[in-house]
Amino acid sequence: MTAVATPVLMQGIGEADLRNIDVYRERGGYKQLARAFCEMTPASVLDLAKASGLRGRGGAGFPTGSKWGFLPSNDHPRYMVCNCDEAEPGTFKDRMLLEEAPHLVLEGILIGAYGIGCKHAFIYIRGEFKRGYEIMRRVVEEARAAGFIGKNLFGTGNDLEFTIHRGAGAYICGEETALLNSLEGKRGEPRLKPPFPAVEGLYKMPTVVNNVETLAYLVPILERGAQWFSAVGTDKSKGYKIVSVSGHVKKPGNYEVPMGTPVRDLIELAGGVREGRKVVAVQPGGGSSACIFEEHLDLGYDYESMQKAGSMLGSGAMVVFDDTTDFVRAAHSLVRFFAHESCGQCTPCREGGHWLEQTLERLVHGRGLPSDVDILKKASRQMTGLNLCALGDSIEPFLASVISRFPEQFEARVASPREVAASV
Amino acid sequence: MPNRRCTAFSTEQSFEIASCKVEKVGVSARKAAVPNGVMESCCSLESAQETPRFRLDNAMCFGAVNQDFSDIYARVRPDCEALMAQYPDRRSALLPMIHRFAAEEGYTSADAMRACSEMLNLTPATVESTVSFYTLFFRKPVGKYMLQVCRNLSCQLAGAEDVMAYFREQLGIGHLETTEDGLFSYEEVECLAACDRAPCMQVNLEFVYDLTPKMIDDMLVAMRGGAYAVAPLPQTARPERTWMIDQDDQISRGGKSPGGQGVSDPNNAGGIGDSSGIIMLDRILAQPQRFAGRTRERLLSESSAFTDGGPR
Repeated sequence: MTAVATPVLMQGIGEADLRNIDVYRERGGYKQLARAFCEMTPASVLDLAKASGLRGRGGAGFPTGSKWGFLPSNDHPRYMVCNCDEAEPGTFKDRMLLEEAPHLVLEGILIGAYGIGCKHAFIYIRGEFKRGYEIMRRVVEEARAAGFIGKNLFGTGNDLEFTIHRGAGAYICGEETALLNSLEGKRGEPRLKPPFPAVEGLYKMPTVVNNVETLAYLVPILERGAQWFSAVGTDKSKGYKIVSVSGHVKKPGNYEVPMGTPVRDLIELAGGVREGRKVVAVQPGGGSSACIFEEHLDLGYDYESMQKAGSMLGSGAMVVFDDTTDFVRAAHSLVRFFAHESCGQCTPCREGGHWLEQTLERLVHGRGLPSDVDILKKASRQMTGLNLCALGDSIEPFLASVISRFPEQFEARVASPREVAASV
Repeated sequence: MPNRRCTAFSTEQSFEIASCKVEKVGVSARKAAVPNGVMESCCSLESAQETPRFRLDNAMCFGAVNQDFSDIYARVRPDCEALMAQYPDRRSALLPMIHRFAAEEGYTSADAMRACSEMLNLTPATVESTVSFYTLFFRKPVGKYMLQVCRNLSCQLAGAEDVMAYFREQLGIGHLETTEDGLFSYEEVECLAACDRAPCMQVNLEFVYDLTPKMIDDMLVAMRGGAYAVAPLPQTARPERTWMIDQDDQISRGGKSPGGQGVSDPNNAGGIGDSSGIIMLDRILAQPQRFAGRTRERLLSESSAFTDGGPR
């Protein structure tokens, strides 16, 4: 079977200038926002989100409706924060949505904000996305002029304020509590949980943090109904997903497909690997996920199959490796990433990441010690489960999976002590 | 506030010293946290005493002009007020305010941090602690062109290691360094979220995709000639892939990474078998005076330099 991409959020991207509010409205934009405000109660938006089975697209895959349901029913101000701090290695879907379909993103955030009954929504944009930030600023001005942001929206008496916040280069700010700290003007260090943001988030008030793609899906869900969304996909993974395919494929890019599309078809969509090469491994969910291998290629791309294969769907970033890949270097570059991005609060992550990076650097240079491969296995395992956030735990999956699959690549880089001494 | 300890333009001594400590552009969060204090402070006090290797006038900084800080402050202040009004709590405006100052100055100066601390009623140390967490706040002037090349996985698979080696060779500088003429700063950064167009980079935060040696040559020639314009490509207009490094070739060359060749960092001495500590030792033995210990005399002479208005 030949896979075909099914654009939902990506519909019109590359064909029309969706950054222009007139073009966007001609294509039916902001109709769902008006419908939500005028015809629906916040509770019915929440029910719709629950019924659709939409799960968080940022990495953890937590059901969106349930996340909203954790908000306490008090009269404190609540906040909606859209997480556009996309920095997971291999992921580039949020940047595309931000730059190419910003009005859709904004409409999704506003609908979500209405759904949780919040009066002030935020978007946290990664510092590197300067262009996306500038686009979003213009888009928000246009939307404000059109009466979609501000006071007494659509004559319903509802107010909704919107603020764009630009980060300044820190992967850890994609973690929701670190993001909230950064939004409060502090160092982007994750907080101890519980309390979760739903109870005590931004300014210690109930807060929901959702990914760009998650919120954007609210627009088609409102338009076509929860049934339409939940009919697609598998048992526990409903609807569509934008998959960022990169690595050793001929046509890397974003492909929007129903959940459960076989991994093989996704690679085929991305043009397949170069002639005469074959896929040996795929990292299915961004830098934090373990590799899956040839025997898993017929599995569906969904939360439960990826989990069964020992990995995770994560943010939907698929990195394809062909048989020329040097996994020692691949592991080195990912471990270096996590070591660099560790905020430094928890010792296992701060020190462990650095030691693993040094160990891998030795191996990359062919100066590994006989004990190094063992150290890699042990140290990465000892780092998991001991940190405030998931960053420290994210080093282990990829490293462990490639060491157990390609031990010969690692062992070949071990040098005898005599060789090490000679090379210094 | 009666107990406020500094005003916008007064010299806060400890702060002055702290801001002189900045050794590099965008020090990583981890390094800031590593308890390697002794070596670090010894070396950075050293650099505070020396004349900086390059002292850029503001015209060299990207997007900035040569001007007095009070002019900048007068211009930026109303924007900062507007930014503070956007948030329920005005401290939230700290990052946007620093961005706003950096847009004028090209980097985050001690003056800017002090002005922000004044406006937000925070201590300068709190502001600097926050600013130092983020890699895009450069606490030292950077070149006119800030070249940030992605070194992460997807770009690496598409040949980023060769791109980085090529840049280092062409520019004659390494990671986190600036050329003597102040034209280029070079940094190897983590995933820029443009993996479909790997290998990619950002020039002054605008994306440049699908790098090839030819593109790099053209780019550097244009930059040196002053004719370079950062023209962002729409992400959707993707040409067929034109260039992909042959991985077999890399492996046959012995798999040596362009990173870490003779590069040494006193705070990053490495583990057993890592030669960088030995390189550092050689340097210290060759030039002991550059790495003088923190003697009492030295501390006294340095602190007197600061009270006298000192080196800036």
